[in-house]
Amino acid sequence: MSNLFNNLNAVTLASLEVGQHWYWEIGGLKLHGQVFLTSWFVIAVLVVASVLATQSIQRVPSGLQNFMEFGLEFIRDLAKTQIGEKEYRPWVPFVGTLFLFIFVSNWSGALVPWKLFEIPAGELAAPTNDINTTVALSLLTSLAYFYAGISKKGLGYFARYVEPTPVLLPINILEDFTKPLSLSFRLFGNILADELVVAVLVFLVPLIVPLPVMVLGLFTSAIQALIFATLAAAYIGEALEDHH
Amino acid sequence: MYWTVLLAEAEGGLFDFDATLPLMAVQFLILVAILNATFYKPIGKAIDERDDYVRGNETAARDRLAEVKQATEQYEKELAETRKQAQAIVAEARDAASKIAARDLSEAQAEAIRKREAAAAEIEQQKQVAFESLRGQVDALSRQMLEKLLGSELASR
Repeated sequence: MSNLFNNLNAVTLASLEVGQHWYWEIGGLKLHGQVFLTSWFVIAVLVVASVLATQSIQRVPSGLQNFMEFGLEFIRDLAKTQIGEKEYRPWVPFVGTLFLFIFVSNWSGALVPWKLFEIPAGELAAPTNDINTTVALSLLTSLAYFYAGISKKGLGYFARYVEPTPVLLPINILEDFTKPLSLSFRLFGNILADELVVAVLVFLVPLIVPLPVMVLGLFTSAIQALIFATLAAAYIGEALEDHH
Repeated sequence: MYWTVLLAEAEGGLFDFDATLPLMAVQFLILVAILNATFYKPIGKAIDERDDYVRGNETAARDRLAEVKQATEQYEKELAETRKQAQAIVAEARDAASKIAARDLSEAQAEAIRKREAAAAEIEQQKQVAFESLRGQVDALSRQMLEKLLGSELASR
C-alpha cells in the first residue's frame, strides 16, 4: 500500500502529508499551529460577518443582514425541533456556533486553497480535519448536556440512568462515552476522508475528475456540520426532557 | 513518511492529542460568547421585534377591519330603513295625488255637466225665442204671399 503511493508520489508534483503537524511550543505545551491558524481564519470570518450584518439593523432586512437572519432562523428551527419550544432559546448560541464553526471550517477546507500556503511543517487544512478540534467540540457537547440536565433537575438528572429499568444502567453509562466518541470520529473521519480522496484523485488525474468529488465534499461537509449540531441539540433536548 | 504516520509514532500522527484540544475548546467557548454578543442577540432581537411589529399590525388591522364591517352593517341597516321610509313617503304622496286627482276630476265633470245643462237650457230658450219670432214672421210672410197671389183686396177680406 505505502509502496504504491510512494511510487505514485515519484511521478506527481505535489505530495500528500497526513499526520504531520506544525508544532508550537507555548509554556511547555505542544500545539498544532496549522489548526489554530485556520481556526482563527474561520473565527474571523464568522465574527466579521456578524459584525457587518448587525452594524445597522433594519426592520426590513437586506443584504448581509437578511442572509444572517436566514442563518439564525435555520439554527433556531434546528434547536427548536430538537430541544423543544419551551427551552431552546438559551441553547441557540451554543448549537448555532457549533453549526457555524463546523460548517465554515469544513467549507474553508473545501474551498480555500490552503495547500498553496507554505508552512514549516504539515499543511493547512480545515480545523475539523484535526482530531483535537472534533474531540474538543464533542466533549463540550457532553459538558453542555450534563449541564443542561443537572441545572434543570439537580441530582434527579441521574435518575435517567436507571430508566426504564436498572438493568440498562451499564448501557446508559456507556452512552455517555459513545456519544462524544461517535460525534468526534464521525466529523473527523468524514472531513479527513474527503480531503484525502480529493488529494489522491488530484494525484492520479489532476483535471476534471476530482471536481465531482469536490462537489460531493462540499455536500458532505455541510451535512456533517448539520449532523453534529442536530445531534448536539438532540442530546441537550434529551437531557432536558421530562421523564414520566 | 506518508502513510505509515496514520498511526501515532514518536511524534505526530493522526491521533496526536495535545494541548490543542483544551485550547480549542476554550477558543470555541470564546467564539460562542463573541457570536452571542455580535450575532445571536442583535439578530434575534431584530427578528423578535419584527415578529412583534407584524403581529401588532395584524391585530390592529383585524380590529380596524371588524370596525369597518360593523360600520358597514350599520350603514346598510340605516340605508334599508331610509329606503323603507322613502317608499312610504312615495306611497303616501301617490295616494294623496290620486285622491286630489279624483276630486278634481269629479269636480270638473260636475262643472262640465252643469255647464252643459246651462248651455242646453239657453239653447232651448233661444230656440223658443227664435220660434216666437219665426212664428210672427211666418204670419207676415204668408199674408204677403197671399196678397201677391190674390191681390190686396181679396186678401184683406
